[in-house]
Amino acid sequence: MTVKSKLREIVGTDNFSDDPDVLNKYSKDFSLVPAGVPNYVVKPKTVEEVQKIIQLANKNRLPVVPTSSSVHFNGAAIPKQGGIIADLTRMNRILEIDEFNRRVRMEVGVTWEKATRELAKKGFRLMMPLAPHPMRSAVIDHLEREVITNTVYDYGEPLQSMEVVWPTGEIFRTGSASVAGYPDSPSKGANPSGPGLDFYRLLQGAQGTMGIVTWANLKIEYMTTVDRVLFAPVDDLDYTIDFLHRILKLRIGQECLLLDNTDLAALAAENWPDDFEELRATLPPWTLILVLSGMARRPEEKLKYEENMLKDIIKNEFSEIQLDNNLPGFPGIGRKLLPLLRQPWPKKTPYWKNRYLGGCQSIFFITRPGMAPQFADMVEEVAAQYGYPVDDIGGYIQPIEHNRACQMQFDIFYDPDSEVDVELVRSLYRDAISVLASQGALFTRPYGELADLVYESATGYATALRRVKKVFDPNNIMNPGTLCY
Amino acid sequence: MAISKEAYKVLEAIVGDEYISSDPVVCEGYRSGPGGYEAGLGYERVMTKVPGCVILPLTTEEVQKIVKVCNRYKVPYVPYSTGWYGPRSHCHVDDELLIDLKRMDDFEIDEKHLYAVVGSGVIYSQLQEEAMKRGCYIIVGGGGSQCSAIANMLGDGWSPLSYRIGLPHRRILGTELVLPDGELVKMGSLALQDDPFWGDGLGSDLRGLLRGFTGLRGCLGIVTKMAIKLLPFQPERLTPTGISPHTTLQLPSNRVKWINFTMPSKESMKKAMFEMARAEIGAGATKVPIFWRAIAKASCKEEYWDIWSKESEETIKDFHLLRVLLVGFGSEEQMEYEERVLNDIITEIGGEARRTRPTDESWFKNADSAGMWLMCGGYVSVDYVIETLEHALPHGENYAELKKKFTPPLMPDYGDPGWFQSFELGHQGYSEFLVYWDPDENTDGVDHFYLETSKENIRKRFYTSLLGPHQPLYLTGPAYGPNYHKWMLAVKDEFDPNFLSHPPVPLAHDEFVEKAEWMRPMKDWKSPKLP
Amino acid sequence: MLKGKVSLDVTNLDNFEYDMSKCIKCKGCYWVDHIYMPGVNFSTRCPSATRYIFDSYGAYGKMRIGLALLEGRMEFTDELLKTLYACPLCGACDVGCKRNLDLEIELTLEALRIKAVQDGKGPMPAHKKVAKKITEKHNRFGSPHANRNKWLTKDIKVAAKADVLYFVGCSAAYVNPEIARATAKILNAAGTPFMLMPDEWCCGNMLYSVGMIDEARELARRNLEAVRKTGAKTLLVSCAEGYRTWKVDYPKMLDISTDDLGFKVVHLTELVDELIKQEALKLTKPVDMRLTYHDSCSLSRLSEPWTPWKGERGKWGMVSPGLERRRGSGGVYQQPRDIINAIPGVELVEMVRMKENAFCCGAGRGTQEAFPDFAAWAAEQRLFEAKTVGAEAIVATCPWCKDNFARVARQNGEDLKIYDISELILASIEG
Repeated sequence: MTVKSKLREIVGTDNFSDDPDVLNKYSKDFSLVPAGVPNYVVKPKTVEEVQKIIQLANKNRLPVVPTSSSVHFNGAAIPKQGGIIADLTRMNRILEIDEFNRRVRMEVGVTWEKATRELAKKGFRLMMPLAPHPMRSAVIDHLEREVITNTVYDYGEPLQSMEVVWPTGEIFRTGSASVAGYPDSPSKGANPSGPGLDFYRLLQGAQGTMGIVTWANLKIEYMTTVDRVLFAPVDDLDYTIDFLHRILKLRIGQECLLLDNTDLAALAAENWPDDFEELRATLPPWTLILVLSGMARRPEEKLKYEENMLKDIIKNEFSEIQLDNNLPGFPGIGRKLLPLLRQPWPKKTPYWKNRYLGGCQSIFFITRPGMAPQFADMVEEVAAQYGYPVDDIGGYIQPIEHNRACQMQFDIFYDPDSEVDVELVRSLYRDAISVLASQGALFTRPYGELADLVYESATGYATALRRVKKVFDPNNIMNPGTLCY
Repeated sequence: MAISKEAYKVLEAIVGDEYISSDPVVCEGYRSGPGGYEAGLGYERVMTKVPGCVILPLTTEEVQKIVKVCNRYKVPYVPYSTGWYGPRSHCHVDDELLIDLKRMDDFEIDEKHLYAVVGSGVIYSQLQEEAMKRGCYIIVGGGGSQCSAIANMLGDGWSPLSYRIGLPHRRILGTELVLPDGELVKMGSLALQDDPFWGDGLGSDLRGLLRGFTGLRGCLGIVTKMAIKLLPFQPERLTPTGISPHTTLQLPSNRVKWINFTMPSKESMKKAMFEMARAEIGAGATKVPIFWRAIAKASCKEEYWDIWSKESEETIKDFHLLRVLLVGFGSEEQMEYEERVLNDIITEIGGEARRTRPTDESWFKNADSAGMWLMCGGYVSVDYVIETLEHALPHGENYAELKKKFTPPLMPDYGDPGWFQSFELGHQGYSEFLVYWDPDENTDGVDHFYLETSKENIRKRFYTSLLGPHQPLYLTGPAYGPNYHKWMLAVKDEFDPNFLSHPPVPLAHDEFVEKAEWMRPMKDWKSPKLP
Repeated sequence: MLKGKVSLDVTNLDNFEYDMSKCIKCKGCYWVDHIYMPGVNFSTRCPSATRYIFDSYGAYGKMRIGLALLEGRMEFTDELLKTLYACPLCGACDVGCKRNLDLEIELTLEALRIKAVQDGKGPMPAHKKVAKKITEKHNRFGSPHANRNKWLTKDIKVAAKADVLYFVGCSAAYVNPEIARATAKILNAAGTPFMLMPDEWCCGNMLYSVGMIDEARELARRNLEAVRKTGAKTLLVSCAEGYRTWKVDYPKMLDISTDDLGFKVVHLTELVDELIKQEALKLTKPVDMRLTYHDSCSLSRLSEPWTPWKGERGKWGMVSPGLERRRGSGGVYQQPRDIINAIPGVELVEMVRMKENAFCCGAGRGTQEAFPDFAAWAAEQRLFEAKTVGAEAIVATCPWCKDNFARVARQNGEDLKIYDISELILASIEG
């Protein structure tokens, strides 16, 4: 039997394709990562099918590239060496919503849109990155360590236990889901760690190179009962960051983020492009957004003490911060933004990153918040060298864990249909990441060519990673050519 | 007992003659037991040895060199921070090198970015005090303030304060790990820069090699430096007061408060924890086992037994004490709010506040963990599990039932179903089952019970922290994952093919069962010939 | 003996088999009490383990070594003797352990030294030299016995008979006469008549401390009888080591309780504190100084009265009859501080490690004699700690402490002034 026929046997002919048009769709995405064509696409429905696919791939030394979303921005699911695309979008069941323990177990094909909708019915929400694409896999976004907008929960990291098929073809459950017979067990899968090793850590950020995750447990939170969205225009980023150092240690608020005028305009504009241009021109350089919320009990009292804390601090220590229910000149922006922070991007609206020019190359990294203004300057300098209009750079600073760190994100918008633009942005991107890395920007999610830059500077880490990879994937079939493999 | 002369000379050249010794008196000082955590039991008697040589490095570079020399001369070694964890942290084979890391006590702290960088020689109370001076705090693991912060962060790292702060795994930031072949892996941001503030890996996260649930006992390398996340605290001082043995921290009652509540039932405690979590209030929520109260009240062992002997199954069954910690992290007003909400909850459920001392010696500085040995001289936790509250309660109850078959030699606890608490604002629950025995009597029953709990976990599908090196690997391996042991051993084989790093861990308990004649009848699982 | 008959008799190491076998290696004997832990600096209170670093030098190591000795698995070697004797027996370990447990660490360490001597292996050669001096000249310096009262000056009134007997001690008599004089003058100023021993001999502190219990006991019997003969109701000392020897070790050696001595053993600071509070003594002259107070071990954590005990140990390690253990809480901690605070002009700043957490000066109980480098090192640690809190001077209540601090301060060219509390008190009386 040929590989093709075996694959068809595993998933059924309807869920198999080697049609060039179909293959072509998987060969590229919204990133600048060069196209790479797979040989086959399969859409399994069960973990047993996934297992058989991997076993077959091992036998034939064929690469397997897992993908769980129908939309990609980072190039991780573009095959570098051909092989089989294992498209898990059919594995889209929400398996359990565990209200007592505030946990959802869902397959990797569950989209943000579906997850948010179904959880809302029970009064729950899932911690989210900023306005994720509705068709992205919620599990995979967490597995890939997308940074969430909520800063208040000390325990962070929603990801708990998972089911994975190892590159050698074994089905395995991590954490407390590893008990025999799970979920038919007293164990609910709430502990991500163990057994024996912290397998979940090896799977995080792995871009599908360590195995195929089929479902995961994630922490969910109650929906808030009352919210107040506060804004502050920001002229002085350093000053505002100091303010955040002060207030975020007090465990107030739910979401807290900084957006520059371009990104905020791209998110908030309704009538496109007029609203966008107007917003971009009139919004302050940066805007601080802080959402205060009340929970199940005495919610107004909670809001009150949080507001009092803020008032005191602003009065006594940060008098230049003008934190208010609304952004002067932008009535109703709070009403607009709260759903954006609590829901994925609306399905029917072109994705905010693609609305402006069609393409967007994001540069994101972790850093100390105080470094943010300098990094912003660096990116502007690089952009200027390429004649790229600084106004077209979107900026987003996401404080993390009481503002002890932050994720900085620069969104470089461009026209993907213009070869000139594409090449310019590609070169700009290359230079920018190089400059940023040399100044301490921490790229913990090295997609595409960023991986070469990162691992060349972290040879010790790369060596150890390869040794671990060898154990789990001796034939190097899982998404080869990715990370440092 | 000694290591080869050639190896000794080379090692001496690395650290200087003042910091190495194979003198039998020095080495005897590093004997595991007979007293200590899990000590006096069969595992300690059968599996532990006095080292052949002890060395005290100062830097990561020295540790690397030492490990490379061990590889060259095939000298087995074990890393040792304080030796507090008992036999599993001591030498297990003859002529073994014990690498005592206590000199590696460098310390830096960055309160703005909420982390401290420590060497293996820094213990929790040092770190906690430095953190608190700067308006921060950490979780001091249940093992107590005397734990090496790094060692505990690799194998434990939780306490009732985990209610808000959660799993220790994500408090491990930039870390240096000397692999069993002597190569150095820097993890987190240290992989790329000389700044340990961030913990995530570059792509795949190699922190996965550090601990599993409860640690690898050093069989996969030696951590020499770790940045540990701090959490923001409140600004008032917790004032040390009293003279030994009655020392305690005076809590600033406007910002930090423990409140004990008597509750009508165990279920009501669970409900209270659930409601607190739903309301997102509190900084700690734990059941109080009654015999701990007896320890706290007793001024000596005899007084403890005087108090304890008055208890019975009836009194235990009816004793439901919930201890809640409130911290006004942000303001007094916040604390007042939380106290109002807490009272709403307790009133609804039918609990009652008791007079509670405004002091703490147990959790912020955890100065009294050694009191676990007061009662009997022997103690071990046969399990401590983070899962959910729904797992925690039946887990403890199951053990209580099982324990009856092994009492004596275990201390009578009148069916107490162990300790449980809420973690991560209710996303997780914790249960721990502690047992005590008289080490000067026959302890075979304790060894049996210890292993039997592992089998019970498998039978009943409980998760457990006692995997990996803690129980026979070939027993637990097939039952969890399944076959997690295969991966552990494969990773071990990749990084330590000569089995020099703390041999025979992770197969030590397997070996114990083979070696100890009173354990052999318990072996009803398959395993290959042990290396 | 793990179960069965057991007592606190230090001449039989078997009595401490339980204690040695139940050390849990928590190192509460090494670290400052975690409640008081000051951070990463000044975090330990065991000088031996801090200096020599290997676990064998902490009580956790010594308990294991002691058990090996008892069980015949180990023999006395030079290293073993060093492990036992490079230790000021300061009691930090005992108090640290007893915060949570019921183990007799200090007594075990004493018993181990006694065993070393019993087995003909100990004490250290330097100790034997001093023992010879004590035997021959009744003082530890080997100075002429006839010179013992030379410290007395004409302005000091000594009563022929009084309720209070001032036991001067070798140090104050021979090398720290300023302490003896100050003490005597304080008593005079307070209108408290005192007498001296008709023939004062060394108290035998070092002899007992290094395990020469037979010699120490003989001396104790002689000294006790001599004091009883005087009819003294109070034996006053100005030396912490002497205080502990009289109050604790004498009864211990003679298998009686402190109460059975027939007189109270009182340190100068206890007396002066009482006199101040009764307003029988007024400290009026200012002493303008920023100073810190060093808790001498033998006055503080080692000083609780002794009661002999014997009984049985049974199930769970419980003993009967019940035993109230000496945990250090009843030591003389507050009185010296109250005295200092009563002196006008003095600013008392506390060191990081204070009271039961104090770091021993390193000189006492045979350490200075056999391990002078170690004693100097310990003193250096303490002086550094004093300077860290901005003290200009350090005050102790023991000539051993004072001497050791002063020697090291001199050698290192330190500015820090070293005083005995008697000097400070006198300065505030006389000006």
